Amino acid sequence: MLDVYTWEPNANSGKPLFCLHEKGVPFTYHYIDMGAHEHHAAQFLTINPDGTIPAIVHDGFTMTESTPAMEYIDEAFAGPSLRPQDPYHRWRMRMLLRYFDNVVAPSLAMIASNRLAAPRFVGQDPADLRAKLDRIPLPERRATWEKLMFQATPAADIAESERRVADAIDRFDDILRRREWIASRTFSLADIGVFATFYSLPTAREEQVNDSATPHLMRWLRACHARPGLQAALAMGNGFVTQRAAEVRERLGVAALVDG
Amino acid sequence: MMRLHYAPGSAHSAAVRIALAEKGLEPELHKLDLVGYEQHSPAYLAINPHGIVPLLEDGGRKIFETALILEYLDDKCPEPPLAGNGPRQRYLARKWGKYVETHIAPHLAIARWAALHGKVPMEAEAGLDRLLAYRRELWLRAARGFDREQLAASTQAILAAGDRLAADLADSEWLAGASFTLGDIAVFAHVAQFTALGLRMPKAVEDWLVRVAARPSVQAISDDLFPVATMGPEPGRWG
Repeated sequence: MLDVYTWEPNANSGKPLFCLHEKGVPFTYHYIDMGAHEHHAAQFLTINPDGTIPAIVHDGFTMTESTPAMEYIDEAFAGPSLRPQDPYHRWRMRMLLRYFDNVVAPSLAMIASNRLAAPRFVGQDPADLRAKLDRIPLPERRATWEKLMFQATPAADIAESERRVADAIDRFDDILRRREWIASRTFSLADIGVFATFYSLPTAREEQVNDSATPHLMRWLRACHARPGLQAALAMGNGFVTQRAAEVRERLGVAALVDG
Repeated sequence: MMRLHYAPGSAHSAAVRIALAEKGLEPELHKLDLVGYEQHSPAYLAINPHGIVPLLEDGGRKIFETALILEYLDDKCPEPPLAGNGPRQRYLARKWGKYVETHIAPHLAIARWAALHGKVPMEAEAGLDRLLAYRRELWLRAARGFDREQLAASTQAILAAGDRLAADLADSEWLAGASFTLGDIAVFAHVAQFTALGLRMPKAVEDWLVRVAARPSVQAISDDLFPVATMGPEPGRWG
């Protein structure tokens, strides 16, 4: 029995979906609507008391850390290996995932949630918002949501996130100038971890990510978008992510292999 | 030949030295003095521009980030196995390795700096110009001192970490289950400093600390486990 409780095929939510499709492992997808705060609702808290997504339950064993869970999926199931064999390249895979998890993905999440989620809270009853906050178990997640709900993310933090994203785009373009895939010569979990957030850059940040500014990153994005496993995962969304992925493929000139 | 750059009083360094001892590996050692800010010397910054320890050099390649150095050592020298037996144990060991860097190390650095009355001496202050911007910013924050609110939040985070550790230790001897793993090593080196700073842990954690401390690999480096007022290498998770 393999159950995945998650939101869209996007960022941390998407990592198990991308991994399982690349391995060809069947699973049950339980859609958790983050916009409706379902990940903070009592029903989901019985699965993950921390109220974070994704949660992956395999034969009664629950995993809530998406990067270690990707390694688990690669180890526990048959299918193509998603980790380099050589210890040094395996270290590179983990080191780049760590940089992405700790620095890059949170920066993009801060920018996107302030643009998309924060405006929805304007004009809502503060008492209702406080009640929603009270249901968030982890103090660091509660602090982030509080800033979103009350439009209190410091402008300097958003500017710093923009700087970190621009820096990361340059770094990954340089990494992909020297290597076919992010960690080594083979496709790995590092590619999945980065793609889960970077898949939309050619349309979301077209002034920064395009064939003249970042040719190596664009070459890699085309190769990733052409993979049947990654396409199949992107097709699982409930709406805007799947739609956005189709637009990106069109922009990149990549054929759709899977029906959205 | 492997070469380890490390410093006594750095919990991250202690973790790597424990793993090396468990594996019976004896790399060439380069000991740095954190009290004398040797990690910011031009000679060391030429080796590691981030100005942090530990750093493992292996055949000209530089391996960093403590939890990932531990995994590298286990991949490279699989006997005795320390990453865990089977995917479940390995998941739990990795979960703890990640938790240390996002939830424990940054708060320990702040609590430790306050408890030990950390100060940046004038000559070290001058050396901050040599650091990368993000490291310089961290040291300038430390030099200004942390406010009461930040200290309370860090203490709270450390106590919450104690409760999480106790939950995983409630019905198993080690953090990832039946055998000692890299997860125990990564966490132990930090939690050993909590008690030295007067931060009490639940009984299940205190008992586990005693079990880990009894291992020959830990006894061999026990002089390195005392806390020193220094900022940790880990920025934690941004945002």
